[in-house]
Amino acid sequence: MDEMMNKKILIVDDELEIRNMIDSFLRKEGFYRIYQAENCKAALAICRSNHPDIAILDVMLPDGDGFALLSAIRQFARIPVLFLSARGEDEDRLLGLGLGADDYIVKPFLLRELTLRLMAVLRRVYHPIPVPERQPVFQLGSSTVDLESAAVSGDKGEQPLTAKEHTLLLKLYENRNRIVTSDALCQSAWGDHYYGYENTLMVHIRRIREKIESDPSNPVYLLTVRGLGYKLSVKEG
Amino acid sequence: MDGVARILRRFVSATIIISVFLIILNFIMLGTWFFKGMDKSHSPRGVVKRVTDGLHKTGDTYFLDMESEQLLDQLSAWAMLVDNSGHVTWGYDLPGQLPLTYSLIDVAQFSRNYLLDYPVFVWEHDHGLIVVGYPKDSLAKYRFAFPIEWVSDLPFKSITLIIGNMMLALLLSILVGSQLIKSIKPLISGIHALSDEQPVNIDPKGVLSDLAKSINRTSSLLQKKNASLKSRDEARSNWIAGISHDIRTPLSMVLGYASELEENHSIPAEHRKQIGIIRQQGEKLRSLVSDLNLVSMLEYEMQPLTIKPVRLSVLARQTASEFLNNGLNEAFTLDLDVADESASVNGDEKLLLRAITNLVQNSIDHNPGGCQILLKTYVDCNKKSCRFIVADNGKGICQREIPHLTELPYSSKRKHPVHNGHGLGLPMVARIAKAHHGQLVLTSDTGKGMNAEIILPAI
Repeated sequence: MDEMMNKKILIVDDELEIRNMIDSFLRKEGFYRIYQAENCKAALAICRSNHPDIAILDVMLPDGDGFALLSAIRQFARIPVLFLSARGEDEDRLLGLGLGADDYIVKPFLLRELTLRLMAVLRRVYHPIPVPERQPVFQLGSSTVDLESAAVSGDKGEQPLTAKEHTLLLKLYENRNRIVTSDALCQSAWGDHYYGYENTLMVHIRRIREKIESDPSNPVYLLTVRGLGYKLSVKEG
Repeated sequence: MDGVARILRRFVSATIIISVFLIILNFIMLGTWFFKGMDKSHSPRGVVKRVTDGLHKTGDTYFLDMESEQLLDQLSAWAMLVDNSGHVTWGYDLPGQLPLTYSLIDVAQFSRNYLLDYPVFVWEHDHGLIVVGYPKDSLAKYRFAFPIEWVSDLPFKSITLIIGNMMLALLLSILVGSQLIKSIKPLISGIHALSDEQPVNIDPKGVLSDLAKSINRTSSLLQKKNASLKSRDEARSNWIAGISHDIRTPLSMVLGYASELEENHSIPAEHRKQIGIIRQQGEKLRSLVSDLNLVSMLEYEMQPLTIKPVRLSVLARQTASEFLNNGLNEAFTLDLDVADESASVNGDEKLLLRAITNLVQNSIDHNPGGCQILLKTYVDCNKKSCRFIVADNGKGICQREIPHLTELPYSSKRKHPVHNGHGLGLPMVARIAKAHHGQLVLTSDTGKGMNAEIILPAI
């Protein structure tokens, strides 16, 4: 973790107060090699001389926009970039155009969110976990759902999960204790052209219940929310 | 082009009708004149016949009856009777220079032509030949002789003549009409382009050059006005976008420091609570700014839409789930009626979700005591439009106020102050519906709940 704190961070924003606020907050979090630039020219100079490990770029700058600056930086350095956007409509450009931004955050933002995202980008770029992220394993009453090995073990012994059941359970678990609409479930299992799979979804849900519920006709974990979808009730901790 | 053809057609048929009418009129007038001029009782033939009938012989003397005498006096004509040997046996008002005997040649000559320049007419009488002479230069005598062929061809010839006239009229009218159309055509297309707000530049020449010039002027005025309107709209929208951008930066700092302080445990709890209020208000301001920006972009038609087919029932379930997941107060119930799953539209999913969320939030905000909210989707029976209905059984709103609800707050049209929230919710829904070529219809009355329908073109 200390290694992460050694990373050099470049903050590019035309507002001094914003730079100072981010600067002071990041220092409090433990980062100490922080550079500031108020425009594209200064930012490029710092990139050439100090080789920062990550850059936080404002989209609107006095001598150009952040997208152009990113392209200029990418000419000679492949550092991760996090955009600060003050315009809601930039969202589509950031997401859609594949500019190679690693993340973006819309102003006004909460500092805590900025730090979390910054750390996430740093971790992803500089400390890639060799194996892909482990899939969740969780407890539903007396049974254990292991999405890693795609199996449910409990009173009825170990039962394997099919690919679709796995996808649906993962989606439900990611939104645990929240309603997931049948549309969202179908989309995760069958893609964008999911219309017409509602009945198939019901069949799959029934099979999942047979594996995880002790009484599948009176479910207590995988609940039906009538007319809307399903909810996986998981007690945390 | 249809307009031009129609004008030409009308012009030609009008011309033909006029020429046919003129021909008929001419024939009628000619006929009446002709026959009027040849008044039967006063025609030379009639007069000479009358005189013949009125001349009687009593012994050796001839008597003309009163009526014939009057007729001759009236016409200032003279009359005589020439017997078989060529002698004048009776005369009435004879001019002095007339001879009293005539040879066969003389008779043949004057019966065809004139007698000493008097136009004369003859009729057979029991005792010779009656000759009636008109004053000199009062009548013209013609004799016509036509070949039989020519006479028998006459009906055919006159019909050919009439048809020829008609053809000529048709040809001329088409020629004149097309010349006229040629000069009008650019004007017509110019006026059509004007109504489509296209730029127009007609070459001003010919009779209608003034008209062309004024169409050109109108077009350039219209273009200028549109351009200035557009630039003004853009300026307004950019102004609001700029302001909201400028507000976001200081707001970032307010929110940033406030949330920092809120989590700082060295500060007394009471102060942390107050800082929390600063943060919450800052967040409210944040959503107000982005809503304001969105509404202004929609108002000036500058909001980019990501259009794709969207099923309304999916939106209904998603909205309901969001509200339930975010802890909807138990005083409210959300019901779904999505009988027709196929109800779908081409639209921006995010914006449509936003519109529906606004409507549901509206029902919640205005009925703090709780109410039932129904989300309903269906396809109209004509299959041309879909409806998304958000209805509640809450306290509703006075009918008079409904038209003001979709106006922007603080605009001159919105008379009543905003009671709850920032007042952008319903205007935003109305503008989202409009951006999708649809509309928002609100029906309500005090105590009767609110019924909001988003009507969109179906696919």
